[in-house]
Amino acid sequence: MDKPKSNNKILIRIAQAAGAFAFIISMMLIVNYIQYKNIDPVNTELINNLITRLNETPEDSVLRDQIRELDLLARKAYFTNQWQVRTGGYLLLICITVLIITLRIIRSRAKLEITFDEHENIITKKKNTRTWLSVSGIIIVGLALLSALFSINDLNSIIDKQLVTLKDETIEIAKSEPINEPVRVQDELVELPASEPESNTETELSVNKPEVEKSAVVTKTESKPEAGNQERSKPTEETKEPVKEEKVPVEKKELPVAKPSYPSEKKITENHPAFRGPGSNGISYRKNIPVSWDGTTGENILWKLKVPLHGYNSPVIWGNKVFLSGATAEKREVYCIDRNTGNVLWTYDVTGIPGSPEKSPKTTDDTGLAAPSVTTDGESVYAIFGNGDLVAIDMDGNEVWSKNLGPTGNHYGHSSSLIYYQDILILQYDTKSSPMLMGLSVKTGETLWTTNRDVKISWASPICVNTGSEYEVIIAADPIVASYNPLTGEENWQIDCIFGEVGPSVAYSDGVVFAVNEYAKLAAIKIGETPEILWEDDEYLSDVPSPVATEDILIMATSYGVVVSYDSKTGEKYWEQEFDNGFYSSPMLVEDKIYLMDMDGVTHIMKAGKQYEALGESPIGENAMTTPAFSDGRIYIRGNEHLFCIGK
Amino acid sequence: MKEEGTNNEITRRKFLTNALRASAGIAVGGLAVYVAGNSNTKDLVWQLDPAKCIQCGQCVTNCVVTPSAVKCVHVFDMCGYCDLCGGYFRADAKELTTAAENQLCPTGAIERKFVEDPFFEYTITEDLCIGCGKCVAGCGAFGNGSLQLQVRHDLCKNCNQCNIALTCPADAFERVPVDSVSIFKGFSDIEFVNKS
Amino acid sequence: MTKTTFSIFINGFKPGKLVIFIFIIAISFISFDAEAQRFPKPEFESGYEQIETQIPVPRSNFMEYFDVFVLFIALGIITWIVLRKRSRTGVFWVSVFSVLYFGFFREGCVCSVGSLQNVTLALFNPGYKIPITVLLFFILPLLFTLLFGRTFCAGVCPLGAIQDFFVIKPLKLKNWVQKLLGLIPYFYLGLAVLYAATNTDFIICRYDPFVSIFRLNGEFSMFLLGGLFLSASIVIARPYCRFFCPYGVLLNWMSRISLFHMTITPTKCVQCKLCEGSCPFDAIDIPDTEKPKESKQTTKRRFIALVVLIPLITLTGAWSGYLIHEKLAIVNSKVELAIELIYLDKHPEITDDPSYTESFEVEAFRTSGQSKEQLFEEAKLVISKFRIGSILFGGFIGLVFGITLAGLSVYRYKNDYEPNKGECLSCARCMDYCPVDDESKLIEKVK
Repeated sequence: MDKPKSNNKILIRIAQAAGAFAFIISMMLIVNYIQYKNIDPVNTELINNLITRLNETPEDSVLRDQIRELDLLARKAYFTNQWQVRTGGYLLLICITVLIITLRIIRSRAKLEITFDEHENIITKKKNTRTWLSVSGIIIVGLALLSALFSINDLNSIIDKQLVTLKDETIEIAKSEPINEPVRVQDELVELPASEPESNTETELSVNKPEVEKSAVVTKTESKPEAGNQERSKPTEETKEPVKEEKVPVEKKELPVAKPSYPSEKKITENHPAFRGPGSNGISYRKNIPVSWDGTTGENILWKLKVPLHGYNSPVIWGNKVFLSGATAEKREVYCIDRNTGNVLWTYDVTGIPGSPEKSPKTTDDTGLAAPSVTTDGESVYAIFGNGDLVAIDMDGNEVWSKNLGPTGNHYGHSSSLIYYQDILILQYDTKSSPMLMGLSVKTGETLWTTNRDVKISWASPICVNTGSEYEVIIAADPIVASYNPLTGEENWQIDCIFGEVGPSVAYSDGVVFAVNEYAKLAAIKIGETPEILWEDDEYLSDVPSPVATEDILIMATSYGVVVSYDSKTGEKYWEQEFDNGFYSSPMLVEDKIYLMDMDGVTHIMKAGKQYEALGESPIGENAMTTPAFSDGRIYIRGNEHLFCIGK
Repeated sequence: MKEEGTNNEITRRKFLTNALRASAGIAVGGLAVYVAGNSNTKDLVWQLDPAKCIQCGQCVTNCVVTPSAVKCVHVFDMCGYCDLCGGYFRADAKELTTAAENQLCPTGAIERKFVEDPFFEYTITEDLCIGCGKCVAGCGAFGNGSLQLQVRHDLCKNCNQCNIALTCPADAFERVPVDSVSIFKGFSDIEFVNKS
Repeated sequence: MTKTTFSIFINGFKPGKLVIFIFIIAISFISFDAEAQRFPKPEFESGYEQIETQIPVPRSNFMEYFDVFVLFIALGIITWIVLRKRSRTGVFWVSVFSVLYFGFFREGCVCSVGSLQNVTLALFNPGYKIPITVLLFFILPLLFTLLFGRTFCAGVCPLGAIQDFFVIKPLKLKNWVQKLLGLIPYFYLGLAVLYAATNTDFIICRYDPFVSIFRLNGEFSMFLLGGLFLSASIVIARPYCRFFCPYGVLLNWMSRISLFHMTITPTKCVQCKLCEGSCPFDAIDIPDTEKPKESKQTTKRRFIALVVLIPLITLTGAWSGYLIHEKLAIVNSKVELAIELIYLDKHPEITDDPSYTESFEVEAFRTSGQSKEQLFEEAKLVISKFRIGSILFGGFIGLVFGITLAGLSVYRYKNDYEPNKGECLSCARCMDYCPVDDESKLIEKVK
């Protein structure tokens, strides 16, 4: 009898020791856990603060060493902690196992405990249980009642209400909302002014309608030459059918058109209606442009105006008015400025556009939310912003129409500028999710055509040039340079020659298109049914400024400060010139001179010739990244803060 | 109410129990057959879709294993071997050195190695990686996006319900068949080497 | 202005000096999807060889089937031990094996208890493909229980087995406490099914108290919960199995009508009372020594009340379920996000505040390109599912209450010591206390 007893004593000791150990280890683990909560390697506030301080005083080597030491310490602590937890866990497990085994052995050695309880009367026992069950059931129902009473219980109707307001908003813009359904093509055609029914064959406008599956009915009815100003009634269900392919042969529809309500070619070249001038091709036809000025001394500065909201868009000019836009994350504004006095004629606050996101998308500081330049046809001015807001404002500052095109998903921000052809506003909307080119009615904002493109995000802007018999819209995006019919959106041609994040727009001269992008190449493309590469080069490549070309020479600036000139036909390099500052602004060709402004706002004026010849260097006195606008005898330059009017 | 007794009652109870048992058996069997019709003999594992991932950093703490079974994986085929790696350096890094104040990775899990001018190779030390996704965000914002978060299946316990999936704000976790264990964003046609 | 790129950043480090990258790259043979390739992969001149991206292989499919095989064998062995060998020691060793294999080696996943949710999800969401192994984990214990009682609980389920080790000095619980706590599993089961069917959450897995112990890894709070359950098990035997386990509800039903349930005595009970205190789970029905009779009138009245009451209680439950269905639905991530977005819409001053940082959910939603309408429609659908689900859940709970009350009103007197077939976990402890020898064994011995 003695032996098991002494054995028991040992066992009890073991159990006590194991229990104590287990307790100590679990306490240590808890302490460790609390400590660990404070060492969060992902967010070491202290180190981050020190690094911010170091950025302010980059030379502070003491601080730097301190950061390195702390960083090492934090990492060590983190991994040591994990090791401790793991080891502690194993130890705890062993201790508890020992404890349980000993306890069980002790129990099993004890005599079988046989207990005889006094039993309750079965009736009272069950009655008792019944009462308790009923009480708890009533309590539970009561709690459910209370929770329903003391909180609003109409989630469903709240969501319904919200849905109704959302739908109200979307109905308004549904017709012009191609973003949510990228394959859908709006085939409402140009609405024509019903008041002017006379037909003018010379300005006959032909509108192509991308073929819609099952739309045979529609196409048959549409070939009367005089049906122009009739309201087109279309079977609406067919408009929603997916479009097959952009290149599918399209049904031509002839539409005799009333008096053209768009500006003539002459009118356009008299003005500076878009980014990089008429057709966005980098060439201005204005005369008597000054070659020297100084923004710091005020020499030749006619006026200077602080632009309320920042933006990287360039000014455009129509008649006596200069237009530009600016935006912050909260506000978007379009400005109309008297060209001669520098007075702000009106400011249009872009708000309340249905579908406009509450929060502007994130952009990088060097792009911002007002990177695309506005454009104007003398009737209205059209502006697009980084959040997809597109607005048309008449010359007096009243809204004509507006819409939101939906998010672009461009990681720097949207920057393709607007152009127009006749009465079609053309948008390069090469977004992340559904890259496309769109044609919108300038009068109503209705989408006339959309052409989906199989390309990546592009930051370049479209150009619209006369390539002989007709106008073409030419755009660049990874991986193609492509040309489209501005009236229909039909693709004329495309060629694989570019890749990367395309920033520079193309330049055109005499049947040759010049496309360039950093890391890719500079390519001269002879256009036609089957375009071919005339020559290419990759010594210097631009990633932001667009090139400009004449029949003879091509001028290209780069963001790292090199300006190069090539023979536009052969690709022979005429000259290269390195400047201290890089260029984001694009070169403009005016009167055989190249006007090119660097990032410090100094405009370098050089001869557009086979030899490099500097004609002047004129600063505005502040940084600038926009491209200047020209009118007779004047230059309009937007600096980072001010708009300058330069002239004599 | 019922008194135990007569033979009749016993046989009746027996019959009832038998009927009940049979119907329970049929119910369980029927359920099994019905569900089996919608079953998958291929096993499914959890994986996160980098296209949906917003690098919120919750994989670090929400995984049932510590450190997380979610790691940064380097898809070398997509890497630009940049000198200034957006995944390696802090955005405000003053010098391109491996010093602590320039590194983005909180645990120093990325190794930077010179290849040739101007290219550098970046490798992830998975033992150190905690899956915070800071480098993934950096590479995605400034680079090619070759750093991506992935569930590593040698570490993943393949829980019945993934704890990260429950809390993932982007709903980026999904069950994928075992033979296509990796999802890489912006990438196809490349064969990966299986690590055993 | 056009875009600006990051490359300026690269060049910016060597100002004044031209850094020209000349890439002669034919990238056409590498196919990239939608994403822009900002910096093309260089072509190395130094003969550098690119490292291959490694992908670790998951556990092989075969092992999953092996687990099912082990489960089947373990079930077979323990059933044989309980019903034939009548050996508590055998059950104990099977428990040890289960804790080691299903617990520590397989890290507690997948388990039969959790598989309940997979089956529910597969039942209600045709899009979800349940692995066949998980289905087998769900079905096998149910079938075994229908035939042989809850032998699965005795020692195959690692959750039960690990608690069983801690059963050292179990206390007797009052009958009403036991009944009341015994209703919790029904709630748990109802909620688990509701949340799994709506594809919201797997709550059984999320609040599995022992899985973090098996993994020696996990959240601190879960360790704490596991520790609490194990410590409680010392005095209240197997608290999780008896008062929480939702799968236990199904096993309980199966076991009640099981074909060959274990008995305390191998042959005939001699009413020795020795086993009375042996069951740590209070699952032995004690013979009624006195058989008190109520008046006929009382029983009749109670019976009528019962017939009326069960449907009424069920309806009350269903109504309560309807009342709380939105509270239950809020847990769903879609509903939660919809509520947050509506709140932000109604309070623009929050987002206008410059110090406002949007939640990860809102950010993810914004970048996903999904429209709010879509989300709201989905949230509405989820809520309507919850409405139906909650009504059924409430009705189910009501019915359980009603039937439990009814069970407490109908008396059937017992003559022998018998295991309560529903509650008995077939742990075989009572057998050690029974003095009656197995006659067949006795005969063998004599021979």
